[in-house]
Amino acid sequence: MQPAAAILIVDDHDGFRIFARGMLEAAGFTVAEAATGAEATEAARTVRPGLVLLDIQLPDTDGFEVARRLAAAPAGDPAPVVVLTSTREARDYGGRIAASPAAGFLPKDQLSGAALRRFLARDQS
Amino acid sequence: MSRRLLAVAGAAAAVGCFVWSSWPPPSRYAPIEVSFAVVGLSYMVAGIAAWQRWPSSRLGLLFSIVGYLYLVPYILVNLANPVAFTIGVLSEGLYDAALAHLGLAWPTGRLRSRFECGVVIAEYAQLVAFSVAGTMFWNPAFSGCNARCPANVLLIGDGSRSAWNTLNTIEAYVGLVISGIVLTLIVLHWRSARGWSRRAMVPVLWIAPAVAAETVLTGSLFNFSALVRYALLPLVLLAGPALFVISTVRARTAGGALGTAIVDLEPGASPTRLREALARALGDSTLQLAFRQPDGAGYLDTSGQAVEVVRPDPGRAVVPVAGSDEAVLVYDEGLQVEPQLVKLTAAAASMALEHARLQAEVQAQLEQVRASRARIVEAGDAERRRLERDLHDGAQQRLVTLSLALGMARDRAAGADPELGSLIESASKEAKEALTELRELARGIHPAVLTETGLAGAIQALAERSPVATTITAVPDGRFPAAIEATAYFVVCEALANVAKHARAGGAQVTIQSRPGRLVVEVSDDGAGGARAERGSGLRGLADRVASVGGVLRIDSPPGCGTRLEADIPCP
Repeated sequence: MQPAAAILIVDDHDGFRIFARGMLEAAGFTVAEAATGAEATEAARTVRPGLVLLDIQLPDTDGFEVARRLAAAPAGDPAPVVVLTSTREARDYGGRIAASPAAGFLPKDQLSGAALRRFLARDQS
Repeated sequence: MSRRLLAVAGAAAAVGCFVWSSWPPPSRYAPIEVSFAVVGLSYMVAGIAAWQRWPSSRLGLLFSIVGYLYLVPYILVNLANPVAFTIGVLSEGLYDAALAHLGLAWPTGRLRSRFECGVVIAEYAQLVAFSVAGTMFWNPAFSGCNARCPANVLLIGDGSRSAWNTLNTIEAYVGLVISGIVLTLIVLHWRSARGWSRRAMVPVLWIAPAVAAETVLTGSLFNFSALVRYALLPLVLLAGPALFVISTVRARTAGGALGTAIVDLEPGASPTRLREALARALGDSTLQLAFRQPDGAGYLDTSGQAVEVVRPDPGRAVVPVAGSDEAVLVYDEGLQVEPQLVKLTAAAASMALEHARLQAEVQAQLEQVRASRARIVEAGDAERRRLERDLHDGAQQRLVTLSLALGMARDRAAGADPELGSLIESASKEAKEALTELRELARGIHPAVLTETGLAGAIQALAERSPVATTITAVPDGRFPAAIEATAYFVVCEALANVAKHARAGGAQVTIQSRPGRLVVEVSDDGAGGARAERGSGLRGLADRVASVGGVLRIDSPPGCGTRLEADIPCP
């Protein structure tokens, strides 16, 4: 089994972060948290997560913008896998998800360690 | 006794005397007698009628004077009395001066200058002077009237035919000169008149020369037979009363034309158009419609010219429109002889202005209602967006967290207590279903996809969810104002829902095109047709919704031929 990647959860909803952290830590991941877009870019720089679980709706900006910023990280620094998430469904965002540099979208209620691992595996393959 | 009765009694007495004095006429004089009676009576009737119509004008009096001066001498010479006979002979022809007076005083009844007064006095004076001088030398026998005629009491001796003839000739030339002066003055009156007065002068331009020619032709310079001289030529004088008839008809016509002009005036016509219509109907091209300036800077007419209202220019008169001094009509002074017409014009103008004001008020109210309807719909949309967002941020978020928590609990319980695990599993399923239902509810309240991506994404999502196969032929990619996007979205949403519910269609097609200044949304299907806005409250509501942004919803749905729904939405 490969070493568990660090996961950065970006969500302004405390309850979600707490339960997601519990679930993902139980699944063997190291977890960091950020509540805003600004915190997310800062944490991505310091924590160097392998995957960012990024809520689309943030208080200061939106997930699409944060995904763009993360994708534009300096060369040589492996950009993290970004998975957008929302309580809404993917189709509520039309083509915006496909147009963003994020690796994909995961509805919040379908969050699980296994689902994130699939994204990571897809990224490595 | 009223003036009218007095005038009628006078005319009746004159005619009575005329008939009594000349009855029974010798048959060869009959045409002359009839001609005299007709001409004299016509002036008397015109006098009475003019007196009625223009009580403050002297025209009625002048017409009457002509009538009496025409008829009375004829009565007097027919009386078997030397004094009456002589007075009759003396006053014959005096009506010429009254005619000149009438022509110069037309159309107001007033002479315009001292010079003109002098001309009229000179005309009366020369006629009297030559009459007296001529009569002193005139022996009735010169005119073939021997024993039948009463004596000429002014006759000196047996008279002198040559002196009488000479005096007659001089009188004729003097008369010619004065007629020329009078006609010239009348032409000058016409040239200097404007508006109503100028048009009132037009018939005088034709009638005055005819009357002048009659007086010259019946004078001593020409030798016509008695029938032509005393019966036929005098009929030309009927043109005088005709002048009164013409002016009356003209005023009546103008009154009628005013009504028609106001009725024909398009709703909300500008004051300029109103002035033109009134001026045309009235026959006064100089008519001005002036409005008081809000800053108290006097009045401006419809062409922006300042208008003096308190002391109008010479020849102009002012009447307020509708009793207020907000608007006034400034018209040719000549019209003052027709106070009814002036009143009618002011009333017509007032009505039209009031109509225009009400029209503008209704238009403004309608505009307000339109704007408030648009605001209400926009506020509704905003409220729905807020509700959807609140659901998303609140209940949906909590259900998601709950669902995650239940998932974790289930995983932990699964090994230790399978029964508890399956209990939590079913609770988790419930939570997931609640979340799904809540999402549908939120989407129904307001589609997040519309806010997030605009029309293209939202219509795509609608087409995907529609149970009937739906093709999108065109949707513009750009963003539009929220109210326009929401309206277009709800049109497609409701139309596709109707297709699914009622149309029994095999497929539907959505086309949204952005054209200059508008967005055209079209949804068609190949179903049963027969949809009508009046029937389904859904379509009625949709039509209202489209109208709220100033658009139009058209439904073309012949039974059996599918339904085509088109919303034409103005879009800045």
